[in-house]
Amino acid sequence: MTKKNNNNQSQGLMSDQDMVEIHSKLNVDKHPPTKGFLIAPLVFVFVFGCLIFVCSIQLAHSTNQFQLHPPTEIVVLTEEEKESLRIERKIESGKKVFAVRCASCHQANGLGIQGQYPPLAGSKWVTSDPALISNIILKGLKGEITVKGEVYGTSAAVNMAAVPITDREIANVTTYVRSAWGNTASEITEEEVSFFRADSEDQVEQWTGTQLVEMFPSVFSN
Amino acid sequence: MKLNSEQIIDKSLKLVVCFFVASAGLWLLAAALFAYISAAKLTDPFFLSSFEYFTYGKIKLAQANAFVYGWGGNSIFAVTLWIVARLAQTESRGRVLVIFAGIIWNLAITFGLLGILDGHMTPHEMLEMPAEVWPALFISYCVIAFFIVVVHRSRKNKETIAPQWFLLSSLLWFPMLFLIAWNGLEINPARGTVQSVLSMWFGQSLIWLWLTPVALGAAYYIIPAILGRAIDKYYLAVFGFWCIATLAPWSVVHHLEGGPVPMWIPAIGTVMSIAMIFPIAVASTNFHSTAFLDISKVWDSLPLRFVIFGTLSYTISSYIGVIFSLPSVAKITQFSIINDFHFNQRVYGFFSMIIFGMVYYILPKITGNEIAKGAKAFHFWTSAFGVLILLLAYLIGGLTHGVLAQQPSLSWASSVISSVMPYFLITELAFIVLGFSQLVFVINVWKAIIPNPFAFWTCGDSQSKPETSA
Repeated sequence: MTKKNNNNQSQGLMSDQDMVEIHSKLNVDKHPPTKGFLIAPLVFVFVFGCLIFVCSIQLAHSTNQFQLHPPTEIVVLTEEEKESLRIERKIESGKKVFAVRCASCHQANGLGIQGQYPPLAGSKWVTSDPALISNIILKGLKGEITVKGEVYGTSAAVNMAAVPITDREIANVTTYVRSAWGNTASEITEEEVSFFRADSEDQVEQWTGTQLVEMFPSVFSN
Repeated sequence: MKLNSEQIIDKSLKLVVCFFVASAGLWLLAAALFAYISAAKLTDPFFLSSFEYFTYGKIKLAQANAFVYGWGGNSIFAVTLWIVARLAQTESRGRVLVIFAGIIWNLAITFGLLGILDGHMTPHEMLEMPAEVWPALFISYCVIAFFIVVVHRSRKNKETIAPQWFLLSSLLWFPMLFLIAWNGLEINPARGTVQSVLSMWFGQSLIWLWLTPVALGAAYYIIPAILGRAIDKYYLAVFGFWCIATLAPWSVVHHLEGGPVPMWIPAIGTVMSIAMIFPIAVASTNFHSTAFLDISKVWDSLPLRFVIFGTLSYTISSYIGVIFSLPSVAKITQFSIINDFHFNQRVYGFFSMIIFGMVYYILPKITGNEIAKGAKAFHFWTSAFGVLILLLAYLIGGLTHGVLAQQPSLSWASSVISSVMPYFLITELAFIVLGFSQLVFVINVWKAIIPNPFAFWTCGDSQSKPETSA
């Protein structure tokens, strides 16, 4: 049987000896000579680089530093976290007080009603001296006032004496009002409110607008 | 009468290779039958329900083991022995011992499967056959592997090429995997989590380090052999080989995603699966850029058509496997019939298709009997069709299953199972198609080995007759 015959019979075109020789030569030469550079190795190096990058990120994120148990941290709040958590809760409490005792006139959005109830959002009466807003709530307010260029006080007056309000409620609600609707004024503490209460003991009637403007000249000077 | 060197080698291999191919064919039929029964049981739970031996848990394991060790093992021996001997330009050695070991191997699997059907399985993945048969399997494997290595060691050309790397290393990796797993599971059982990790690692690595390299090696051999041209970008093959060797056993542990194991195990598995893109890309570049230079020849040669189907399926389904290894996807697909997709795409769509092509290439050479073209083409088209609908059903059904199972508001039996049921019916149909296809394959193989059964029995040396007449 000749070799030709064998080839016909077996449809194989490359003999095994040739295959071994050609491929082991390819192992040494790598590739037939070219003029420029080969694209395939570059592509594969690039792909492999990307894979290593992606794999490292995945490994760093998901192996939990090769420890058996998930991390169990001792939870300690820093001073700043404690403070912001406290303010957050105080504002939350103040919001409830506001909803019950203030929102019916000044509205939940703090804009009041034009010509009747003055707005709290962006009002100097609210955001300036802590004593001003505390005093208004402690004793009430009557007569005409000017808020944000508009005159109010023709119909109703704040009269808090009818339903007693505690120092803590005042502290919380003023803090809420001074930080809501874009207001960014400071916090008012319970101690400050009790100091203002003691300080204004002589005032029996509600405050009038002119009285307050005289008391806090720095607020209304401009 | 003069024979050229290749024919002398083929003659020396004839009996051994025919033995392994013929027994592989029988195991393939057994596996097809088991596969059909287990698929039918999913659509109709009362099917064969009065027989204790055919409960689902037993039949499913029997199918996997018959497939991997019976069909896979025998065909690996045949293909590896033949390619290694041909590339080494050396005749086979120790034929009697190899055949004897082959008989032991097949007997051990027979007893092992009977043990599984009788309920004596071990709980370890792909090691389910009873503990008693494993020493016999291991020793017979070592004998066969030893003689293949001997053939390789006495090769004419000291240089080695890609098919040899893959075939020889898969030959050595199986005992390595087995010893590690068997030691850790049976001899000195590991405690706690390690045991289940080890068991799962063995079951998956077996497919990646035993079946896969054989199929890749065969493809690296047959593509240049039939096309008559060297592998394109062959210099990449060595990187592909080492990447599979180092990454594959790591990548398989991604199957433990969400399991009660330390977090880093599935995390490493995912990472290594992503890195497996590289060897997959290398192999598919090598195969397809060579094959598509000569695509008409690939279409004309049936063995090569099988092989290219297998390599294409390897590429596509491996990339799908990478996607399913990502934690966000695995969360959905983990506990669904997607797992059957993984197993079947690897053993049917990839490994078996390449082995079919290899067998059709080898058999005419060693027996001198051509196989009818029509029968081969029938086998190819039914296999391709069956594999395709099987995999699609498992893939789409698995996704449906996984997504629906995530919704606790749906009732399990009436919503989830009934939406997956159509896919079970499709897989049952696919297994019927595949069963017929494999029956044709086995008839083809046996007809090539024993063209005239009655003449074979009456005159003992009928095999040498065609040669003397030529």
